[in-house]
Amino acid sequence: MQILEIFSSKLPVGENLVIKKSRFEPNSKLQTPKRISIVSGIHGDELEGQYVTYLLAAWLKKNPQAIRGTIDIYPGINTLGIDSITRGFPLYEVDLNRVFPGGEDDFLPGQLVHALALDVQGSDIAIDIHSSNIFLREIPQIRINKEFSNATLPLAKELNCDFIWIHDAVTVLEATFSHTLNTMGTKTLVVEMGVGMRLTQEYGLQLLKGILNLMQKEGIIQTDEVFEVREPFSSEVGDVFYLNSPCSGLFVPALSHCDVIKKDDKIGDIVNPLDGDIFETLYAPHDGILFTLREYPVVYEGSLIARIFGGNDAKN
Amino acid sequence: MQKIEIFKITSLNREPLIVEGYFFEGSDPKAPSVAIVGAMEGKTILPLYTASKLVDFLKNSINDSKKILGNILIIPSINHYALNIHERFWPLDKTNLNMMFPGYDKGETTQRIAKKVFDTVRGYTHGIILETRDDLSTCMPYVKEFKSGFEDLEDAKKFGLKIVHYKDLKPTDTVSLQYNWQLWETKAHSIICPSTMQLQPDSDEIFEAIVNFLNKNNILQHKFLGGYESTIVANEAMQIIKTPKSGIFVPTKKIGTQVIEDEVIGKIIHALEGKVIHKILAPCNGVIACSYKNALIFENAVAFRIARNT
Repeated sequence: MQILEIFSSKLPVGENLVIKKSRFEPNSKLQTPKRISIVSGIHGDELEGQYVTYLLAAWLKKNPQAIRGTIDIYPGINTLGIDSITRGFPLYEVDLNRVFPGGEDDFLPGQLVHALALDVQGSDIAIDIHSSNIFLREIPQIRINKEFSNATLPLAKELNCDFIWIHDAVTVLEATFSHTLNTMGTKTLVVEMGVGMRLTQEYGLQLLKGILNLMQKEGIIQTDEVFEVREPFSSEVGDVFYLNSPCSGLFVPALSHCDVIKKDDKIGDIVNPLDGDIFETLYAPHDGILFTLREYPVVYEGSLIARIFGGNDAKN
Repeated sequence: MQKIEIFKITSLNREPLIVEGYFFEGSDPKAPSVAIVGAMEGKTILPLYTASKLVDFLKNSINDSKKILGNILIIPSINHYALNIHERFWPLDKTNLNMMFPGYDKGETTQRIAKKVFDTVRGYTHGIILETRDDLSTCMPYVKEFKSGFEDLEDAKKFGLKIVHYKDLKPTDTVSLQYNWQLWETKAHSIICPSTMQLQPDSDEIFEAIVNFLNKNNILQHKFLGGYESTIVANEAMQIIKTPKSGIFVPTKKIGTQVIEDEVIGKIIHALEGKVIHKILAPCNGVIACSYKNALIFENAVAFRIARNT
């Protein structure tokens, strides 16, 4: 294994900003030219991906004889943000996943993402792991842009996630890592799971199994271990229903995340801590699986409370 | 003048956010109209100051209301919650209101706010958005115009500011107010204000530019002296100067200064040892349009932008 720097910049006072990756290759001559890149920490408040990259690196170190291709691991892209609990690039206050592809003459966050894109370019597959944010908890899911779904959907099914969400092309998302890399010819998948600022160990282990399974299928690793993966449900066979808060207040959930729910099941209350009143009680708009649930209790009118996948009954 | 409520949103712990617009009805129904949007972010003092000064000017200095020919709507701030605590974006989820247009009435909080603002300002002949730069630089006041296919550069020149920056459209610009406003057939322009947290003696320059713009468009019968013949500056004509060294940044030339090739325009001082470790030279003749605004600068950060003389 090698530790390599993909970007370095001297900070003003006695410190360097360094973005690193670890590269795992077979001990002998490469047996497949295939390369996979695992990226996490583009948002500084998302740590679930760092746990997955830890698990993956530990597995590869323990099983070096299994490695047949090149595996690049980028655990933390927004290093300054991760260490300061800041989602965007500190000081600049920009979301790094909205400034791709960046450029050498761009501002510093643009230079950083440009270096990342160039370094990952040439990989056959890239996986960008996100943890939602501090507001929402998500079950392990893959987000796929319809524009690239022919190439990426078969890969997504190998990743041991619960849900595959294929969404329409949106112009603003062209500034993301995944769109940039897909455009450059690397099949890139976005994983969303867990919640910001925390680790969900069971999800980390679930995704690890999926990544190992995908690498086995692609010939990047070869091992006798069998990775049994779950079959995800897909937005191709149903609809996503949104529940936004009708008012401001404190959200108190009534259900566990990932529950199977029925229409009109109680999702929670929006309450007033000052006088003990309940402003609103929220009910499920449809049968389905509660795959997104509000984690941060303070809400304004419009704050996302839950997303439910369901419906489209004949197909489901 | 009439105050109109654009939206009201309650909060768990703060007083409700009530955003109002100041509407001045024009005396000529056939005259063009204008809507002006001030602070969308919380660290934007000049947009707030300029918009509120316009309200005062129209209300108290235009003594003959017939001089206001076209309808004028001014919304000085749509983000009081951020301004009051010196946050840049929406304080709870840190989303940027200027990336939420045209808005969505069933969406997230800031999408709903954007929708209410957009519904209010849609249909005006002209639109003016007061912004600051979204990077760590400050600048001379200029007009930002996207290459969107809907822009009106001749209209943008009527502010009489030195530069109209004619920018390539990025994907994230498609959710900005300017782009969407233009898409709905308003001649919308962004004025980029210096990112100062304190007002300066020349802080009225943008206010005067807007008044002159309204005058040239037959919306207001009043004009101030001055104004420039604006130059359209495309990205190719904007020279970027990065610093190869990090440290303490000392600009030695002010924004708006004409500089000549190889002239020293700034220096970088070693942050711990105090010596000058790099001198920044102007790579071309031109005017310093933007400068890094903090004293501590990163390696390879953009220190200056010079609009090259043609």
